[in-house]
Amino acid sequence: MTSNLTLIFNKGTKRSQHNFIPEMDIDKVDLLEIIPSFFQREDLPLPDIPEVEIVRHYTELSRRNYGIDSGIYPLGSCTMKYNPKINEVIARLPAFSQIHPLQEENQGALELMHHLSEMLREITGMDGFTFQPAAGAHGELTGILIMKKYFENKNLKKNKILVPDSAHGTNPSSAKMAGFSIIEVRSNDMGEVPLDHIEFAMQQGDVAGIMLTNPNTLGIFDRQIKDITNIIHKYGGLCYYDGANLNPMLGICRPKDMGFDIVHLNLHKTFSTPHGGGGPGSGPVGVTKELISYLPDPSIIATEQGFVCREKTNNSIGRIKCFWGNFGVIIRAYAYILALGAEGLKRVGQISVLNANYLRVFLKEKYHLPYDRICQHEFVLSDRGIENNVTTEDIAKRILDYGLYAPTIYFPLIVKGAMMIEPTETESKASLDNFIDVMNNIYNEAKTNPELLKNAPLNTPVKRLDAVLAARNPILKE
Amino acid sequence: MDFILHDKETITEMLTSIGINSLEELFQDIPADLLLKKLNLPHGLSEPDLLRRLEELSRKNKIYSSSFLGAGCYYHYIPSLVDFVINLSGFYTAYTPYQAEASQGYLQAIYEYQTAITRLTQMDVANASMYDGSTALAEAAIMATVAAKKKKIILLEGIHPEYVEVVKTYCWGQDIHFEVVMEDALISKLDESVAAVLFQSPNFFGGIENITELVQKIRDKAPKCLIIQVMTDPTCLGVLKPPGKSDIDIFVAEGQSFGISPSFGGPGLGIFASKQKYLRKMPGRLIGKTNEINGEREGFILTLQTREQHIRREKATSNICTNQALCALASLIYLVSLGKTGLQEIALQNFQKSHYVKQKLATIPGYQILNKKPTYNEFLVKCPNVHELIEQCKQENLLPPLMISKYFPDMKDIILVCVTESNSREDIEKFIHAAEKASNKNIGGN
Repeated sequence: MTSNLTLIFNKGTKRSQHNFIPEMDIDKVDLLEIIPSFFQREDLPLPDIPEVEIVRHYTELSRRNYGIDSGIYPLGSCTMKYNPKINEVIARLPAFSQIHPLQEENQGALELMHHLSEMLREITGMDGFTFQPAAGAHGELTGILIMKKYFENKNLKKNKILVPDSAHGTNPSSAKMAGFSIIEVRSNDMGEVPLDHIEFAMQQGDVAGIMLTNPNTLGIFDRQIKDITNIIHKYGGLCYYDGANLNPMLGICRPKDMGFDIVHLNLHKTFSTPHGGGGPGSGPVGVTKELISYLPDPSIIATEQGFVCREKTNNSIGRIKCFWGNFGVIIRAYAYILALGAEGLKRVGQISVLNANYLRVFLKEKYHLPYDRICQHEFVLSDRGIENNVTTEDIAKRILDYGLYAPTIYFPLIVKGAMMIEPTETESKASLDNFIDVMNNIYNEAKTNPELLKNAPLNTPVKRLDAVLAARNPILKE
Repeated sequence: MDFILHDKETITEMLTSIGINSLEELFQDIPADLLLKKLNLPHGLSEPDLLRRLEELSRKNKIYSSSFLGAGCYYHYIPSLVDFVINLSGFYTAYTPYQAEASQGYLQAIYEYQTAITRLTQMDVANASMYDGSTALAEAAIMATVAAKKKKIILLEGIHPEYVEVVKTYCWGQDIHFEVVMEDALISKLDESVAAVLFQSPNFFGGIENITELVQKIRDKAPKCLIIQVMTDPTCLGVLKPPGKSDIDIFVAEGQSFGISPSFGGPGLGIFASKQKYLRKMPGRLIGKTNEINGEREGFILTLQTREQHIRREKATSNICTNQALCALASLIYLVSLGKTGLQEIALQNFQKSHYVKQKLATIPGYQILNKKPTYNEFLVKCPNVHELIEQCKQENLLPPLMISKYFPDMKDIILVCVTESNSREDIEKFIHAAEKASNKNIGGN
């Protein structure tokens, strides 16, 4: 069996270079005077590889990887929009990238976060933000810990939380990490949360509140959102907004106005910071006035002497990450919001929804659309009715053969064989039309040449990989 | 500016073709009273105006010619090719490689990262990354309580104070009992109920533990207790004995030192590695090697996903989804760029240069080195006049060391000095000179 691309560790040539080590310009002493030999390692099994070889190796690997700059990346609930190049330049300005988190002369960094916080408050309606959380799920954990602390302070035992079955998988696992047990709420036929279930659950007295994303993972805006949050509040509960799907709401509708108390945002989704192949992200959390004192330490406040950091507040859940958060990501989101401004952000909301509905209407001609109504940023198709036992996975793999990326598949769990499609606002009509053509071709291929789909992909660097084998016999390193 | 491609006519054409009359009608599900009247934000900016504005703002931060500050975030030279590689479109504009066949480049790179980390640490398995050192440590603590089925952990004094706070927050979330103990009290606190002991080495004050001895003491008293080591600057592993050779169960580190700029403390990289037997309890993503179903070639794929939240929901090992992939890639490029020779040399220079400064400071009246244990690139110094030293450093355009009273208010007049290979001899002489001036001033003032 041959590996189709050599690992970097096998690339070493005989000649090692030391291009990255400054000349030693002080007098050395015997190392043993500094550190005893039994503290030292015996060998270091890393290769010495010349720079040219490394650059060629990773340039080749980058070619074997699809990104937004390659084309449409319709991964539902991930908001794969274009990453503006200027943001990469700005984040690398030396007075941003080279500053230490504990240095005193940091007014530019604090002002940036303070101003971004003000703008996010306007966008969401919330009253205060923390930037500590490093990603969406980390923001969820932060938000849910705020709920926990809030009820602890009130001496109320509320150890359960409502999570609809249409929620992201991170919601229940974040709630569990904060010690809550989960009550799953089943969506109704319209993909919305049934009010009577919520009311019944809240009547039990041990439910802290609800975690919701709106529009949900079906791309549906819950028309009764205000009733839902009202019921939760009537019983003294709190409402948590998963901001993963905020993109279509920009300039259109705000979580606070829907009745939410806590919200996390994904700067790497809504505000264009690169997904980086899976991170780094940033998951700021916003809260209402009543909950500001619960935000993680430390917080930034504006004073007449400038921006200062308040180290500890009594109600705070404590620290959730070292230092200030993923500042490098925060800079990019700040630049994006300044670049787009009020009109630009509203346009993002509108066009992301237009693009999704355009795909929805043309794709439902052939594909089954289980929730057949207007959508927001995304919608979910299924493989029902596809002939010759062709599955969602087969379709997804065949999309790769056409040089595009596949939607999120088998999620949300409430749709069997789900294909969750989110085009975002940064696709042209031609790109959307091409995606529709590809999907229609695949639909026809399923009828006439199902083997083509079952063997897909064929035009990628490797053919379909064996996931079962990988899990049964994990090989995780060389 | 914006990044939308449709002109007005295209928008009208698209709306008409799907039977919608206006952009507003797309939001028909939203109750009218919830629709936002006006977003009160400024107008957008063009690229040159944006750049000018952000450059101006950045100038309100100071950058120094050289740094003597560490405490969890370090200045090391970053080879130019690191930034070049992470800026390749195929890497930075991709997301989690759910479709393996179209994501082989990234999957292979992270598989190489996992390999590099296991070789460096000599641990059995490493995951694809956590958010940072502090959250990696908190997740390690939780993982240990699950593996040991016990709800109590002990932290040894000397862990970065912000890491301790993060662990505390996570533990409170899961009702895990949490205690910080001094080294000499550790053994008396150990019993059957303890799931794990967490320690940092080199510790926050710079001291390198005698890990072999420490591990032995813990194993003798509580054989089933897991031992978790954390470090904030893993460049020391170029010289120091790796955790995998000291019988450490879970090793975590902040990987910022490996090719990631300080960037006001984030993004960094949470390095996470463990013994093989804890593999299925591990948080985070793992990349595995496999074969084509109907072919001869090998390839890479996300694996053991049944531990993860998108499949197991509340039964997952962690809620982590997005991690720090691009930072993991940066650290991989750093490690292979330096290679064995480079990493050893970097660690040696850190040892030697900080030792040099330590020796010099010790000869200046009023300064006293407080570490009893060996140190790597950081050490604790009692000063005659802390504020004067800080002032003198700033005058020399040097980022001053940490006043330890920021975290430990009782420890007055003590600084944590960090010296790395990035400090030239000239910088070092300036720093020594600043220390001398502060000493003279103090003596003069008295």
